[in-house]
Amino acid sequence: MNCWMFPGQPLRHDQLFPATPEGEEIISLCCAATGFDPSNWQNDGQNGSEHVRLQLYGTAFSLCRTRLLRSAGPGPDMVLEHSMGIYAALAACGCISERSALELTARVGSALIRMSESARYALGCVIGLGRVPVEKAAANHGVYVANYNTSSHFLLAGERSRIMSAMEECAAAGAFSMSVFDCDAPLHTPLLTEVAADLEAIFSDYSYAEPQMPLLDHIDQQPLTSTRIAVFLLDELLKPVWWQRSYAAARSLGAAAFVEVGAGDALKKFNRWIDSESRA
Amino acid sequence: MSEELIPKVKQMIIDSLRIEGMSPDEIESDAPLFGEGLGLDSIDALQLVVAMEKEFGVVVPDAATGSKVFASVRSMAEYIVENKK
Repeated sequence: MNCWMFPGQPLRHDQLFPATPEGEEIISLCCAATGFDPSNWQNDGQNGSEHVRLQLYGTAFSLCRTRLLRSAGPGPDMVLEHSMGIYAALAACGCISERSALELTARVGSALIRMSESARYALGCVIGLGRVPVEKAAANHGVYVANYNTSSHFLLAGERSRIMSAMEECAAAGAFSMSVFDCDAPLHTPLLTEVAADLEAIFSDYSYAEPQMPLLDHIDQQPLTSTRIAVFLLDELLKPVWWQRSYAAARSLGAAAFVEVGAGDALKKFNRWIDSESRA
Repeated sequence: MSEELIPKVKQMIIDSLRIEGMSPDEIESDAPLFGEGLGLDSIDALQLVVAMEKEFGVVVPDAATGSKVFASVRSMAEYIVENKK
């Protein structure tokens, strides 16, 4: 079985959109739907943060890749999503239109910006340390594990000063490498309850069709149904991403070929690590 | 001594990072592995740490050491020769 994987927000925007009709159409659609041109980083002022622009770039890139892959061969038998990759994944599964995926990305991003008015948030990437010491460091410093990507790759989210303290503890505990990134809001943590009502209103503005193939959610690894999607879209922003479990679930359901449908190759690298551990 | 290890190190990089469509000869011994070179990142670095330990019995203890060790294939080979038990 063929599984397509939709990654979350990229950290950079260094991959060019393909100079194909598919690329040009998605760029035009993004401009029309959000006022942002992901090919030249120009916007009409509506998408006010670099993080929202990166999120839009990520969604647009995934939508473009989806079109190209579909034109080159059969579609997926199954779909996985990671974090903000959910919007492009929903479009690929026929639950929402491509335009709605871009609109949702922009509207959610704008709602998240409001959190940055009251506090400074950051993400902390910890590599080469196990789950127990990472969770302990998070708890000791009042931040959260936002992504459980592999047995040795985690993303923490929370207030910036607390993230820095937690990273110091992770370093002392023997983490191989760490990096900190600023963000508008601590995605995948209960701190997003602050803007939950706004997010819920956004998600209720759309109708969702039944997925055309299994789309496994990254919380419980269950196939999403049309009636669950709006609830899940809010829930997933308040709870961590469990990538290793998602990948294992897809494998156990028979997925054998995995294609990363987006910018970068982080998910492929997570899978490589998980595979190497299972072989050992 | 480290010169003899270079083909093995290149093959280890290809195998452990599952680099498709590339032969060891295509990796330059002195080219940077991160950034502009092979474009590796910190996820790859940890995978290489595990592979080096498994294949050569050599430990890279932290990212600071790793940034020197993984500067190029040649620096990896030299580190293996210097630290192999």
